[in-house]
Amino acid sequence: MATLEIVKDPMHTAGKPFYFNSSAHLLRIGRERATTLSEFLDALHTCPDDSIFQHTFRTLEEHHFIRQGFSNDFAHWAFTVCNEVVLAEHLAGLDVRDFTSIASLRERIIKIVADYIQWSPNSKDRVAREPFYFCSSEIVVLHSLFIARNLAEFSEGLSHATVHCIHHHFIEARLRLKLMSNDFSLWLQEEMHLPEVARAVNRIDIYTATLENVRRKILRIVATAMD
Amino acid sequence: MKKPLKTVWSGNFPVDDAAEKPAPSAPETDVSKPRSSAAPVLKFQEGERQKPPRISDTPPAPSPPPKLIDYQPIIGEAALDELRFLATSLHGKTAKMVNSTAVGGGVAEMLNRLIPLLAEVEVPTRWDVITGGNDFFELTKAFHNALHGGDYTLTKEGRELFLAYNEQNQQRMTFDEDLIVIHDPQPAGLIRARDKSHARWIWRCHIDLSNPNRGVWEFLRPMIEQYDAAIFSSPSFARQLPIPQYLFYPCIDPLSEKNKDLDDSVVQKVCDDFGIDRSRPIVTQISRFDRLKDPIGVVQAYKLAKPYVDCQLVLAGGGASDDPEGAIVLKEVEEAAQNDPDIIILNLPPWCAVEINALQRASTIVVQKSLREGFGLTVTEALWKGKPTIAGAVGGIPTQVIPKLTGMLVHSVEGCAYQIRYLLTHADFANQLGKNGREHVKENFLMTTNLRRWLMLFRLMLGTAG
Repeated sequence: MATLEIVKDPMHTAGKPFYFNSSAHLLRIGRERATTLSEFLDALHTCPDDSIFQHTFRTLEEHHFIRQGFSNDFAHWAFTVCNEVVLAEHLAGLDVRDFTSIASLRERIIKIVADYIQWSPNSKDRVAREPFYFCSSEIVVLHSLFIARNLAEFSEGLSHATVHCIHHHFIEARLRLKLMSNDFSLWLQEEMHLPEVARAVNRIDIYTATLENVRRKILRIVATAMD
Repeated sequence: MKKPLKTVWSGNFPVDDAAEKPAPSAPETDVSKPRSSAAPVLKFQEGERQKPPRISDTPPAPSPPPKLIDYQPIIGEAALDELRFLATSLHGKTAKMVNSTAVGGGVAEMLNRLIPLLAEVEVPTRWDVITGGNDFFELTKAFHNALHGGDYTLTKEGRELFLAYNEQNQQRMTFDEDLIVIHDPQPAGLIRARDKSHARWIWRCHIDLSNPNRGVWEFLRPMIEQYDAAIFSSPSFARQLPIPQYLFYPCIDPLSEKNKDLDDSVVQKVCDDFGIDRSRPIVTQISRFDRLKDPIGVVQAYKLAKPYVDCQLVLAGGGASDDPEGAIVLKEVEEAAQNDPDIIILNLPPWCAVEINALQRASTIVVQKSLREGFGLTVTEALWKGKPTIAGAVGGIPTQVIPKLTGMLVHSVEGCAYQIRYLLTHADFANQLGKNGREHVKENFLMTTNLRRWLMLFRLMLGTAG
């Protein structure tokens, strides 16, 4: 594990402050629904991008308190309702951090389902116990709830932020940034000149930690750098 | 052999059962054996368990609705700030909610809490209730059942009656607000006033439209299609419509009598009053005595589990005093209980919110073994209290109970019995379910989350969401 750099000037002021924003989501019920894997595959092609976002990125926010077993809604449906364990494992293996666009994420999900149907043709038209209802997310961004100009203020802001704020900056950010990074890391690197701290923050595993754990881990990393 | 002890508190309060009947004796016990149904170890002495508590025969006066700040210890200051921030672009806008009853029922209960909170974030919201004769409300009751899939033939007279009462209400009311929210089918015809109003119109449907009576739905559909948006409680309850449809889960108020934190002394007193031994595991189902809640299935599950794990079963609810069917079900449950001293059956009046709260908090496990269900707010209440919950996989329950993460879903008596055994013998796992369940409710099913959804929808409807 790389050693974190020590902050030489704890009162160093960032050129650009960090704006703690957040986002609020409203669930919209979509037109697509699937009762078989075949219908599911069709709907994955036609559903809006917001649906793919809702059932992958947003799952992590709605179930932020769960540490394991709930990586996205598609995997959950395949496992609990379709009893397609192998498909569920493949879908659960998706890490949204590997994607900086919904299009590439959608492509990957379609490939997983199509490959599975090819591998297990009998599964294609087996009727699930409950349909999968495609929903999408309408987003309102809440701007500048707190502003941090140095590391101390950053820690203060992060310790008071909601989990929605953490999700907004840490998980949703990569779709906005189109980078394999997040708002916190980007600011720590570009404004505070702490590339190792930024990398350590970016390495936090969101699939084995709750969003509260993510908060604590970032605070610990920053505190270690400030010591 | 001494008579087994049984505690039944069944309506007609206040009644002192003990004064009318000879005190039954405690069952014989052999403490050298492990605890089981054959050898329950009772904390209570002879005659102590069957003293019914004195419960008021009239509802208590309602407490004033909470302020937004009262929710801060629950959701945190930052979450309250987000709510206030969401409301800022709505300042100066007004809304109106219309439903069919001012008291009783979940919608009125929700509006009673929501409207003061909207006012507090400076979105003044007026609440109007439609009026109508008995003929109108009998008709809309029939609509309600038909929309749930019941048989019904809608006649020309029925259609005319519905439209006439809606027209009458439309003439009586004004629609000057920026947002009009119509709750459920009864006032749906008020949409005819939209031409005279600048408002955005929203239809909030609280009922399950997954399998509606075709005649009634085809009558209502053209009205619903004129709204700007519709809201449903579950994607499975929705219909295909040409207007945007949003998902608002039903919610509970964490500060209501039924859900607020209670001092342990209150919980203890309620248990003492009802003859419940808190030193032993307590498995509870709270629900009306209704076959669709499967109380007999719960008794059977308890009996299957009991040889393996010592526990008491509490079945508490209402419906047996004002509903002939409920009284029959209660009798069947009592027969199924077969005088087991560890089965405690409580038929409570609807205003026993604190008692229900205390029973849920005293429980080791909460069961909701419904065979059919709407959303299942009793499950939400149990999860909020951090209770490991076992529930039937029906209606809105799977949205709340995520198997092995926030609770356990079951499909049979045997499955329920096994989960009772498992959770009573795996405390760490059960506690984790309880913790996750509470967080799930906090994130998705609280009144404050509901307020957040309303503010979001209002912003979207008025184009101030950016």
